[in-house]
Amino acid sequence: MTYLFIILYAVTLIYFALSERVKKFIWLLAIQGSILFGIVFFSLNKIEVFDFVFILIETILVKSIIVPWFLNKVRRHNHLKREHEPSIPVFYSIIVVVISLLLSFILSSQLNDNQIHTKYFTVAFASILFGVYFIIIHKNIFSHVVGYLIIENGIFLLSLAVGSVMPMMVNLAILLDVLMGVLVLGIFINQVGDTFKSVEIDQLSNLKD
Amino acid sequence: MFILFVIISITISLSIFFVRNNILTKILSAVFLLMLTGISGYAFIHINEISSHYYKFDDLGVLLAFVLSILSLATFYHSYLYLKRHNFTNKQEAGYYASIIMLITAMMSAYFAENIAVLWISIETTTLFVSILIFFERTKEALEAAWKYLFVSSVGVALAFIGILFLSITASSNGITDLSLLHLIEIASSMSSIWLKMAFLLVLTGYSAKMGLFPLHTVAIDAHTVAPPPISAFISTTLMNVGFLGIYRVFTIVAQTEVLHWAQNVLLIAGVLSVFMSAIQLLKIKHYKRMFAFSSLEHMGIVALGLGIGGIGYYAAILHLVFHSFVKAGLFYQIGQVHRYFKSYWIKDAYGYFKINPVGGLALILGFISILAIPPSGMFVSEFLTFKAMFLTKHYYIAIFILILLTLIIYSFSKNILHLLFNEADEEIEINEIKPNPYESISQFVLFGLVIYLGINPPVFFTDLIDAAIAILN
Repeated sequence: MTYLFIILYAVTLIYFALSERVKKFIWLLAIQGSILFGIVFFSLNKIEVFDFVFILIETILVKSIIVPWFLNKVRRHNHLKREHEPSIPVFYSIIVVVISLLLSFILSSQLNDNQIHTKYFTVAFASILFGVYFIIIHKNIFSHVVGYLIIENGIFLLSLAVGSVMPMMVNLAILLDVLMGVLVLGIFINQVGDTFKSVEIDQLSNLKD
Repeated sequence: MFILFVIISITISLSIFFVRNNILTKILSAVFLLMLTGISGYAFIHINEISSHYYKFDDLGVLLAFVLSILSLATFYHSYLYLKRHNFTNKQEAGYYASIIMLITAMMSAYFAENIAVLWISIETTTLFVSILIFFERTKEALEAAWKYLFVSSVGVALAFIGILFLSITASSNGITDLSLLHLIEIASSMSSIWLKMAFLLVLTGYSAKMGLFPLHTVAIDAHTVAPPPISAFISTTLMNVGFLGIYRVFTIVAQTEVLHWAQNVLLIAGVLSVFMSAIQLLKIKHYKRMFAFSSLEHMGIVALGLGIGGIGYYAAILHLVFHSFVKAGLFYQIGQVHRYFKSYWIKDAYGYFKINPVGGLALILGFISILAIPPSGMFVSEFLTFKAMFLTKHYYIAIFILILLTLIIYSFSKNILHLLFNEADEEIEINEIKPNPYESISQFVLFGLVIYLGINPPVFFTDLIDAAIAILN
C-alpha cells in the first residue's frame, strides 16, 4: 500500500512539471498533503499513539487544507492565473523530473544503509531536487513559494526515511515555524503584488551595487 | 528556567503588540532588558548546566549571550531615538518593539540550544522576525530586501535541515536518536564519514545566509542596506553570531572524526572567497551601509579562516567574532546619526561630517580604526593571531593572498570614511540644520573602548570562557 502512495507522489512531481496554471499548483500541493497522510497512515504505526495522531493531523490539516487554502487566498488577491512564458519549455522540465527520479533511485540503491527506508528516500530526494529546479525555472515569487513547499514536503518524506522520530515538542515547534514562514511569505507576496502591481521576479532588482 | 524566560518574553511581546500603549511599551521593554541581563548572569553562574531539557548554558553560549545583552541595551536606546525622529504610528512602534523582543528571544534560544533541532527552530524563528523588521520602513527597496532575505534564508535553512537529517541518519545507526549535541559528540568517532561530509556541507551552505558568509551572503547585504540602523546593527552582529553558532555546533561534531581536515579545507575555501568577494565589492562601493555590510562579509571570512586553520586559529575566531560584534554595531549606530544630517546613505550625498558634529566624527574615526584592525583596536589582536596561526601551520599562500586583499579593503574603506569625515563641499549639499547631541555617541565610545580594553588587557573570566568554548576542539 505504501508503495502505491509513493508512486502517486512521484506522479504529482511530473504533474508539477506539466502544469502552467497557478491554481493547479495549489491543487497539487493539497494532493501531495493527502498522499503524505496516506503514507504516514499505512507505514508509521509502530510509534506512540500520541505522536502518530499528531503527524496525521499535521499532514491532513496543515499540508492539505490550511496551506493550500491560504495560498488560494493569496492567488485570488493577486489575480494570478497562468504562468507567463516559463523560461524553460515543459518538455525539458519533464526530462528533468525523470532524471532527478532516476538519480535518486541510483543514489538510494548505492547507499544501501540499513538505517534508511530506501523507498521513501528515493522520492524524498527527487522531491527536494525538483523543488530547487522549480524555483529556478519560474519567474514569479508565488511559484517560488510553491517550490519551497515542494522542498518542505520532500524534507518531510526524508524525515520518514530517516526513521528517527523527534520528540513531540520539537516536532510541534518545527511545524509551527514552517507554517508561520509560509504565512509570512504569503503576506509578503500580497505586499509585493500591491506595491509593484505584479509578482514577477524582474520587479525585484533595485538593490545592487 | 530558560523556558520560563522564553514564555515571559513571548508574553511581553504579545502584550506590547496588542495593547499599543506608549508608556506600557517602555516599561515592558525595560523589564525585558532586565530579564535579558538577568538570564545571562544566571547562565554564567550556572555554567555548563542543562536547563529546561533542551538548553544548556555552555561557555560559547554564555559569551555570545553577554554580547547580545550589551548590544540589546544600546540597540533599544538607538531604536528609541530612531522611532522618535520618524513619524510612525502607535501600531507600527508597537510592532517594532514586539518583533525586536521576539528576535532577541529567538537569538538567546539559539545560543543556549543543546539540541540541534531546537537550534534549527530558533534560527528559523529569527529569520521570520528579522524580515518583518527589515520591511519596517515600508519602501519598495525594503520590501525587496525583506522578501529576498526571508525566501533565501528559508530555503537555506531548509537545506540545513536536510543536513541535520543526514546527521541523524548516521547517528541513529549508532543508537542515538535525540539529536542532543552531547550525545552526538560522544558517538562522533563512529559516524560514517560520507554522511558527515554531506551534513556539514549542507549546514554550512544553509546557515551561510544567516552568518553572512559566502555563498549565500548576498541576502544579508541587501538586508543591511534598507533595514533601520539599529536593526542593521543586529543583523550584522548578533544574528551573524547565530549563524556562526549553527555551523560551529556541527563543526564540533565533525572535529571528533577524521573528516575534520576536509571540513577545515571547506571552511578555508569559504573564508578566502568571502574576503575576496568583499574586497572586490568594496572597490566600487557607493553606499555607506553596504560598505559596512561588505566589511562584515570580510570579517566573517576571517572567522571562517580561523576555524579552518585550527590551533590558535580557534581562539582567534571566537575573539574576532566578539570584537567584530561590538565594533560593527557601534558603526551602524553612528551611521544612523549621520543619516539625520544628510538624509542619505549614498557616498556622493554625504561628506564633511566632522565639521557638523565633531563628537560623532570622533566616534566614527575610532570605529574606523577599530574595524580595520589598526592598533590599539582589539581586532588587531584577533587578526594577528589568525595570521600567526596561518604561518605556524604553513598556510603561507593563503596568508599572503588574504593580506593583499585586506590592503585593498583598507584602501577603499579609508577612502570612503575619510570622504565622509573631512571632504570639503565643492558644491552645496542639503544638510539638515540639527543641533548635534554629543550624548548620543556615548554608547559607541563605550563599545569601541570595550574592544580596545578587551584586546589589550582581557579579564581572566573572558579568556577562560573562550578557552572553555574551544576546549572541545583541541
